Amino acid sequence: MLPLLIGAGIAGSALWRFGGVPLFLGILPVLAVLILVGVVVGMAPGLRWRRWRYEIRPDEVDLQRGIFWVGRTLVPLARIQHVDTMQGPLQRRFGLSTVVFYTAAGPNQIPELSTPVAAEVRDRIAELTREQDEL
Amino acid sequence: MLVGAIKTLRRWVSGLVLPGIVLLMSQGFSLWTVTLFLFGILVVAALAALWGFLSWRATTYAVTGTAFRLRQGVFQKNERTIPLEHVQSVDTVQGIIQRAFGVVEVRIETAGGGVSEPDASLSALDRGAAQTLRREIEGSHTERAEETAGPTVLRRLSRRELLVAGATSGQIGVVFSLLAVGSQFLDNFLSVDFARRLVESLAPNWLMVVLILVPTGLLLAWLLAIAGTVLAYTGFTLSREGNFLYIKRGLLERRETTIPLSRIQAVRISEGVLRQPFGLASLRVESAGYGEDAGVSATLFPLLPSDEVEEFLSGAAPEFAYTPALEPLPRRSLRRYVFRATIPALLVCVAALVCLMVLGSALWLLSLLLIPPSAAYGWLRYRDAGWALEGDRLLVRHRLLGRKTAVAPRRRLQSRGVTSSPLQRRLQLATFVAEVASGSGGAALRVKDLDAGSAGTLASSLGPGVRLEGA
Repeated sequence: MLPLLIGAGIAGSALWRFGGVPLFLGILPVLAVLILVGVVVGMAPGLRWRRWRYEIRPDEVDLQRGIFWVGRTLVPLARIQHVDTMQGPLQRRFGLSTVVFYTAAGPNQIPELSTPVAAEVRDRIAELTREQDEL
Repeated sequence: MLVGAIKTLRRWVSGLVLPGIVLLMSQGFSLWTVTLFLFGILVVAALAALWGFLSWRATTYAVTGTAFRLRQGVFQKNERTIPLEHVQSVDTVQGIIQRAFGVVEVRIETAGGGVSEPDASLSALDRGAAQTLRREIEGSHTERAEETAGPTVLRRLSRRELLVAGATSGQIGVVFSLLAVGSQFLDNFLSVDFARRLVESLAPNWLMVVLILVPTGLLLAWLLAIAGTVLAYTGFTLSREGNFLYIKRGLLERRETTIPLSRIQAVRISEGVLRQPFGLASLRVESAGYGEDAGVSATLFPLLPSDEVEEFLSGAAPEFAYTPALEPLPRRSLRRYVFRATIPALLVCVAALVCLMVLGSALWLLSLLLIPPSAAYGWLRYRDAGWALEGDRLLVRHRLLGRKTAVAPRRRLQSRGVTSSPLQRRLQLATFVAEVASGSGGAALRVKDLDAGSAGTLASSLGPGVRLEGA
C-alpha cells in the first residue's frame, strides 16, 4: 500500500508541477489511493472474516473462505498428523489464537479464533484424529 | 579406510588449493615456493590418510533386534540408534573412487529425516556387507520371512532406449542456458579489441553467422543433454521384490535406490514435447518422507512407450495402473484457456504498438503474428486437460509444454480443495486441487476450469465417508 501511495504522490505532483494540471486535480491520485487503503483496511478484513467458515465433521475438516477468490478445502481427519494453536504478540493482546493442523502435505490454518474456542477446536480435532486411528 | 582417506583428502585439498595457487602466483614460480607447495600437499595427504584411518577405526555399526546402531567419531564420539521401523530406505551409491576399490556407500534415510544429508551413511562397505545390511534392515519391514529368489527384474533400459531418452529429453533449454553462461565466461578472456575486430569483420554477413552459430549451439546443447542422460541413466534397471522396488542406474556413479511401494503417493506420467509424437513417456513417483525438499519426485522409469505404461505399472505399482478415458473440460472453459495463453502475446502487441506509434511505422503489425500460435497453444492445453475418477483412483492431466498425467489413489490424498475466481464463477467453472505428500511437503494435482458442479462432486466423493461403487 505504501509504495502505491508514494507512487501516486509522485505522479500527482509531477502532473501539477510539469503537466500544468491544477493542484486539486494533481491531488486526485493520492486521494484515490487513500480511499483504496480505506476500503482495504476498513472493510476487506471484516468481509473476509465474515466469509471464513470452518466445520469439524466426524471424519473431515471443512474450510471455506474468500470474497472474490473463493476457496474450499476438505481435509480428512485420518490424514491429520498433529494440531497446534499459535499466538502472536498482537493476537495475545486481543485474546486470539490460530489453529494449525498438519497433514503429510503441509499445514492448514483456521485463523483468529478466540483463545478458548481455539483450544476447544484443537482438542476436538486431536481427539477425532485419534478416533480415526483406532478405526 | 582408503576411501575415507581419499574423501577427507579431497575435502581438505579443495580447501587448500586456492590459497596455494594464490601463493604460487604472488611469489612467482621459484624452486622454493614450488617445493613448499608440494611439501604442503604431501603433509596434507599424510594427515588425511591418518584421519581416514582413525575415523574408519572409530566407525562401527550393528543391527540389533529392532534398531540400527551406528557409532562414529574420532574425538567426539557419536552414537546413533535408528529404530528399524523408521527406516524409509537403504540406498547405495558408488562413486568413481568407490568403484575403483570395489566398495559402496550405504545411505540410510528415515521418515522426516534431515535436509539433504542422509540420516546415517557408511561411506565404504564392501558389496556383500552392504547387501547383508540391507537385507537385515528391510527384512524387518516385511515381517514374514519368505525367502524368495531375489528381486525380479521388471524392465531394463536398453542402450538404444537410453540414447533415445537422451535425444528426446528436452533438457536442451537447460543446457543452452549453461552454454550461455559459458560463453559469458569466455567473454572475459577475449580482449575488447579482438571482439570489436571480430564483429567488424563479421558484421556484413551477420545473417550467415547467426545461421551457423545457432544450429551449432543447439547441436552442442543437444549432445550435452544426451551425455547427461547417459551419465545418469545408463543401465537403468527396475526390479521388484515383494513390496519393494529397486532401481539401479548410473554410468560413473552407480546408484541403487529402494522405493517401498507403501511410500508411493502418486505416479506422474510425462510425455515431453519431443516424446509424445513418438508415443513415448517417462514415469516419476512422488514418495513421502523421502528426498531433500518438498515436491521431490524420483524417476521410476526414464523412457517407455505410452501404450505400455499401464501394463508396466500393473507389474511395478498395481495401485497406480490406471489409464481410463478422461472427462474433458466443458466447452465454455476453452475461451479461458485461450485467453490465458494469449495474454503474453497481447501484452507484446500493446508494447510494440506504443513503441512504434512514436516512429509511425506499421511494423508493429508483425507482433500480431504471435497471437495465432499462442491461441493454438491455449487450445492444446484445453484439449489435453481432463480428469477421471474410477474406483478409488483419481487421475488428472494437464499440459505445460509436455503432457503430464498424475494418478493417485484416494487414500493418498491429504486434502482436496475447490477454488474459484469471479471470472470462473461467471462461467460456472472452478479449479480443483488435491494434495499428496511428497518429500517433506506436498505436491498438488490440479485441474483448472472444470465445471463447478463436477469440481464439488469430485471433492466430496473423494472424501473419507463415501464408498464408491466398484471400490
